[in-house]
Amino acid sequence: MKQTARIISIHAADTSGVCSMLYELGGMVVVHDASGCNSTYSTHDEPRWYRRDSMIYISALTEADAILGNDEKLISDIVSAANDLAPRFIAVCGAPVPLLAGTDFDAIATEIEARSGIPTFGLHTSGMNSYLVGASEALEAVVGRFCANPVPRTAEPSANILGATPLDFSILGAVDSIREWLEAAGFRVVSCMAMDSTLDDIGRAGSAHVNLVVSSCGLATAELLRARFGTPWVAGVPVGEKFPAVLAESLREAAKTGERALPCADRAFSGSDTVPAIAGEAIFSGSLAKAVELDAGRPCRVLCPLEADDRLLAPCDLRIADEDAAAYAFARAACVIADPMYAPVCPADTPFLRLPHEAFSGRCYRKETPNLINRPLPWRL
Amino acid sequence: MLKLAVYGKGGIGKSTVTSNLAAAFARLGKNVIQIGCDPKADSTINLLGGDPVIPVMNYLREHDREPDDVAEISKTGFGGVLCIETGGPTPGLGCAGRGIITTFGLLEELRLFERRRPDVVLYDVLGDVVCGGFAAPIREGYASQVLIVTSGEKMALYAANNIYTAVQNFRDRGYATVRGIVMNRRNVPGEEEKVRAFADANGLPIVADIPRSDDINRFEDAGKTVVEGDPELDVSKRFLALAELLLNEESERNP
Repeated sequence: MKQTARIISIHAADTSGVCSMLYELGGMVVVHDASGCNSTYSTHDEPRWYRRDSMIYISALTEADAILGNDEKLISDIVSAANDLAPRFIAVCGAPVPLLAGTDFDAIATEIEARSGIPTFGLHTSGMNSYLVGASEALEAVVGRFCANPVPRTAEPSANILGATPLDFSILGAVDSIREWLEAAGFRVVSCMAMDSTLDDIGRAGSAHVNLVVSSCGLATAELLRARFGTPWVAGVPVGEKFPAVLAESLREAAKTGERALPCADRAFSGSDTVPAIAGEAIFSGSLAKAVELDAGRPCRVLCPLEADDRLLAPCDLRIADEDAAAYAFARAACVIADPMYAPVCPADTPFLRLPHEAFSGRCYRKETPNLINRPLPWRL
Repeated sequence: MLKLAVYGKGGIGKSTVTSNLAAAFARLGKNVIQIGCDPKADSTINLLGGDPVIPVMNYLREHDREPDDVAEISKTGFGGVLCIETGGPTPGLGCAGRGIITTFGLLEELRLFERRRPDVVLYDVLGDVVCGGFAAPIREGYASQVLIVTSGEKMALYAANNIYTAVQNFRDRGYATVRGIVMNRRNVPGEEEKVRAFADANGLPIVADIPRSDDINRFEDAGKTVVEGDPELDVSKRFLALAELLLNEESERNP
């Protein structure tokens, strides 16, 4: 059955990506959708919900408002709330009903900004794409707005981390480990977009010597910073024992030459289906595949179920558009590393190694999520 | 890039004006795209010798997938004008306004403007701005100027006023502004005075005065615009003059 998830879960939607990426930045995020949907966007997909505040709201769109095109109600509600809460910025994004009604979020943002004086942007979410699309657009909008001025490079080697959200890295210390690893590799962290960094930190992002892109959702912003400040980027996550050293060298080389690098996709080609297969987000999975190749001596293939730039995939990787494609690829793999919710479509005779992914299974398996950053892999492959 | 949306009451001659303008721009050596945004999908037929292009909505309905290339949903007409029609849903079902937005999104995905790099884009839109979809052609990034076509008939002027009011309501949104009135004469008594009164009351210029002409009908019967059929006719020269006026303004704005 094409384009369906009959058995397995689906990834968090673009609206969740927006909320996750902007959660800590002091802005106000308004999802234009029916009341009651806050749980979908934030509670289920947002582990920080219980620990720290964030101004994430649902507009409580009604049938009448949608039919009548009552944008004025949304605009005046947001301006009123913004006057009370004084957010650093306002992001307004959509859901399926505004998609069908053709709501113009750019125009709405223009009106809100004119009335409130607060930087406002419309984001083109629809609930029809994955979290990566929303997170990517949200980060690009923030950086586009708040990293506008030229800044001198820092005296010492430095880096930004682009694309870090709990949807890909949970809240179990992986992002802290990436920071520590970067510092140990000789790069001061200017900002981490967008966990444990402020909007002001992000405003200084242009001073970094290189950008480390840890998820596909950071790639568009990496290109934006490259165009604006000439900052090179390197795509990869320092997982396993040997790959972190490769990645660190790529960062040093990129900082020196100004060239982009994709060590996560620079992997041994295997024409065979019967290799270990890793299903998930392209940069993390590619990095893990490279780590397995280096640490265990086994070439791997990434099975990518999410939106990904072609550059992020190695020639042997496959895009798995739906459940059937996943099951077909799993059946031919030597073993599968994937979120536990993929297990039901993995044949019983194919070894299945559980690697929870918050964007796919939410909090269900969070406790068993391993921190793979700069340490031995927990599996024998 | 000159981007124009043409609005007016149903049957007032929007498609005639738009396709003659497209032909005039083409005769002036410009690279032109015309996008018909009416479910009837008959905007570009007289640029195509009477042989219509498959509307985007029909393509989606028949193929149950999006096209891979603009060529699948366009045809090249007189003077190299690239003709596209949004079309509409099955009559009585679906949502025509959403169809326009979907078409525009699709054309963006296919990178139409980046690849074609047109000098002029014309949007020929349904008579009334009945919902968000029919305002899509004047959203930021699409048309920047609106031409309203009207005669001196009461209902045509009533519709023109509605369109003008709708566009004015969007002025805080960065949408298109009304450039002026195209007076498409029906030879009703006191026509010029009535149209001029409306234009003056709203501070709008009459940018073209198109006479009622059997030549237009004669060439349309042959699947042509009058500008294609005989550019030396007075009515053709009116369209060519309007095209020149708009191009000169554009080159002053963006030298």
